[in-house]
Amino acid sequence: MLEDQSGDFALATIGKVHGIQLATDEINAAGGIAGRKLELVIYDTQSDNTRYQEFMRRVLQRDKVDAVFAGFSSASREAYRPIVDQLNGLAFYNNQYEGGVCDAHMIVTGAVPEQQFSTLIPWMMEKFGKHVYTIAADYNFGQISAEWVRNIVKENGGTMAGEEFIPLGVSQFSSTIQNIQKAKPDVLITLLVGAAQASYYEQAAAANLKVPMGSSVNVGQAYEHKRFKPPSLANMYVTTNWIEEVPNEASKAFVKKWHAKFPSEPYINQEAENSYIAVYLYKQMIERANGSTKRDDLRKIIAKGDVCMDAPEGKVCIDPKSQHMSHTIYLAKVNDDHSISFPNEWSDIKPYWLGDAGCDLTKKNPNAQYTPSNPPPK
Amino acid sequence: MFDTAFGFLYQFGDACAFLVLCAAGLAVIFGMMGVINLAHGEFIMCGAYVTSAAARAGVPLGFAIACGALAAGLAGVVLERLIIHRLYERPLDTIVATWGISLIVSQGTLIVLGPSMGAVGTPFGSVVVGGYSYSVYRFVLMAAAALILLALYVLFTRTRFGELARATIQVPHMAQALGINTGLIYTATFGIGAALAGATGGLYAPTMTLVPTMGSQFIIEAFVTVVVGGGDVFLGTAPAGVFLGFIKATMTTWEGQLAGQIGLLVAVIIVIRVLPRGVSGLLLRERA
Amino acid sequence: MGARGGMLHRLEGPQTLGRGRWFWLGFAIAVALACAYPLFEDDYTVGNTIYFFNWVFMALGLCLIWGYGGMLSFGQTALFGISGYGYGIFVLNFGPDHGFTLIAALVAVAAAALFAAAIGYFLFWGRIGGVFLGIVTLSVTLVLERFMAQTAGPEWHVGTARLNGFNGMSGMAPLTIPWPGDDIVLSPDVPLYYVVLGLLVLAYLGLRILVNSSFGNVLVAIRENPQRATMLGYDIRRYQLAAFAIGGAFAGLSGVLYTSWGQYITPSSMGLTAASLPVVWVAVGGRSDLTTTLVGTLLVIGAFQALTVYGSQYALVAMGVLLVLTVLAAPQGLVMAAARLVTRRRP
Repeated sequence: MLEDQSGDFALATIGKVHGIQLATDEINAAGGIAGRKLELVIYDTQSDNTRYQEFMRRVLQRDKVDAVFAGFSSASREAYRPIVDQLNGLAFYNNQYEGGVCDAHMIVTGAVPEQQFSTLIPWMMEKFGKHVYTIAADYNFGQISAEWVRNIVKENGGTMAGEEFIPLGVSQFSSTIQNIQKAKPDVLITLLVGAAQASYYEQAAAANLKVPMGSSVNVGQAYEHKRFKPPSLANMYVTTNWIEEVPNEASKAFVKKWHAKFPSEPYINQEAENSYIAVYLYKQMIERANGSTKRDDLRKIIAKGDVCMDAPEGKVCIDPKSQHMSHTIYLAKVNDDHSISFPNEWSDIKPYWLGDAGCDLTKKNPNAQYTPSNPPPK
Repeated sequence: MFDTAFGFLYQFGDACAFLVLCAAGLAVIFGMMGVINLAHGEFIMCGAYVTSAAARAGVPLGFAIACGALAAGLAGVVLERLIIHRLYERPLDTIVATWGISLIVSQGTLIVLGPSMGAVGTPFGSVVVGGYSYSVYRFVLMAAAALILLALYVLFTRTRFGELARATIQVPHMAQALGINTGLIYTATFGIGAALAGATGGLYAPTMTLVPTMGSQFIIEAFVTVVVGGGDVFLGTAPAGVFLGFIKATMTTWEGQLAGQIGLLVAVIIVIRVLPRGVSGLLLRERA
Repeated sequence: MGARGGMLHRLEGPQTLGRGRWFWLGFAIAVALACAYPLFEDDYTVGNTIYFFNWVFMALGLCLIWGYGGMLSFGQTALFGISGYGYGIFVLNFGPDHGFTLIAALVAVAAAALFAAAIGYFLFWGRIGGVFLGIVTLSVTLVLERFMAQTAGPEWHVGTARLNGFNGMSGMAPLTIPWPGDDIVLSPDVPLYYVVLGLLVLAYLGLRILVNSSFGNVLVAIRENPQRATMLGYDIRRYQLAAFAIGGAFAGLSGVLYTSWGQYITPSSMGLTAASLPVVWVAVGGRSDLTTTLVGTLLVIGAFQALTVYGSQYALVAMGVLLVLTVLAAPQGLVMAAARLVTRRRP
């Protein structure tokens, strides 16, 4: 496990470590995987890309682990991916991200833009209006997500009132708030990343900005609704594959046993649930491959197309063409008192974009990341 | 027309206030004492955390901010007594030492208090001027920045303590020969600088996310403002804040936040090239 | 004494620690041990050691600029980034065959040196010094970082190489030596180890010659008292510029080696923390001497990594404590203090 337990990203990633530990304890208590106990090797990557490079090399060459669960930011994933490719390892990336990684050495359980935006944007446009303003973090994830938003808005007959890209680490938003007011949008899509940028919500609420907000990344990852005073996040709609408040029975049981093991966990976010599921999926693949942990054997199992499980969120499956996961997408609404309600739910949303665009890992392995403006070569 | 003008003035004031408040504590510690304090962000964080904790416990916000400033000031005094006072002749060593302190404090806070601290809401609501809605608290911040500068000026030029402090820092041996307890003066001045940083943290705490690494959001603006201001805190910090704030507000309004940030840094580079002693160097030379 | 005496004479001098038979014998033993190292260590350690070595060049460059020249620069990481991206762009466009990676490396290092010279011209002809120099170099580094971090869109490309913003540029081939038959690809393994070790030894010896020459003497004179040096007739700006450019070239070498090692370069290599690290390594090792910087940098990087591996969340705290203790107990640098202890015991 290579996760950031310190540094800027620790807020959202400590839960991931706990998720894997919880799954490991449960699996080992039930006899392990194909009779063998699951052993965890954990390194703290300190929210630093160079640490990912150092430790990925270490776990693959010295510790000789069978699989690595690693990475929060896309930069960290791209930092370690060449090393996984070079040393022929297997890595699970359990984070939502901007999509497009077509690499046989990676299994991605995080949600991707087509899953989150194809559900969120049409719903919000129908409910609130077709004039959309986007504020996004000014780097790959924000820019690509904004591209997705732009495309889906156009497909649904809407117009972009404006787009604003904000460098990471910026915490003062007076000018942004003024720009939004000038543009008078019906819907505001917020794709803000990092603790500094989250300050936007408090400042916008203080300026009495009342546009309905939609996001694929806030609330679900860094639980802003628990950290900020109501009603700064009121009227916010988030599409996430799971958060702590999801009301079905499996989810409630999951939350209960998590809190039993980690009583002081501030919040169980979607990445934590992804990490937990990932361990169980890994177990399933190995058992179906007759106990082999070799990557190629596991990939043959994935290629069958039915590596699925009943997760706390609902049924999830791994797509053989892209090695990404299908998800149940919940629409979470943050109410005035920051409690969560779920106006809508979409089940079995597949990560269709990569397969449609031409990535097919059952046939070839380009080891690359694609975007809508840089799709796989035909 | 009025809307746009007022809007721009608001942005300008907001940017200046941020720069001045970031720089205030550092201007004393770095500008006056020559200590390159890379832990400045952590003093701000300390003030923000204490302010939030106090406000959530029911203390009125104004007092809570004072508590935050006090806590940071005390931390500064302790730090000065333990570590900093040995480093006055060695400004470049203060970089390494304060960087180490910054690591200890930010990581220590993460370990002890967890990855975030609950927020306090922004008080005073909003006001509508000419079609835009503004947060009243931002005006409070602008007023606070001006007040703090004024208070600093009064403290260091009109009080006995201020006189002693400036004498000690400019000619320490003479001050000692005259019987002044220089050690105490240094400690007190450092404490004041730390308390100012804490006040900044407390003032901004209601508007921001509180995480142990939040100091990094202030530190660059603090350093560039102090350096552009030059050696004399009182002559330099205010004009530097105004000038850089103007650049930032203009670039941000014109091209967005990224341009604002890059514009600020480029302005710093150009100003230092043109005025190697900072703004106060220019003003002092004109006076003399 | 002949040629060998002449060579030793140029390698030794008042600006560097270590002279005489015993020192050079120790040096030869250290190099021999380093050469033998891969034979009894596993693949991971070899690759990891190469990783450590990659950073030393940047530290040596900073030692020249700061330790000998007295100019505190936070700009080494900017040059690191420029040459890293330069290498990546060149190799992604032209491919690794026909020795193009080696040409790319040269071009990248030259680009870093040129950029350093440009910044240096701007700074030194403006008579900027002291802490202002630090702030301006830091500002330059941060501008580059901020700018590169937002180059994620497809319109940001040089030829076929997409800059790819914050996610970083990857997929460039490692350094490849053209060879009849099969090209030797220098991935992080034993051959690359020897190449980097060789470069390190050359760099160290070369810098020793440089600082012990008249150039080095003038540089130190400028550090000690710039006005006196000017009055003695030296144009201190030229010397400062030269030192800055050479130091920058070494930072560029670090950049190329890092990018080739990990096949990846990202703007966060030019961030605030990354910019402070070389200053910390050199300060802890002992900035006024090449040997102490070299040894100190390796020790500190190794110690920081070991702390991170074994110290879990306390690692950063332990690092901070280490830094504070170093400054208080051994302000000229830990390794320097140790060296002084050793040499003091001799009569």
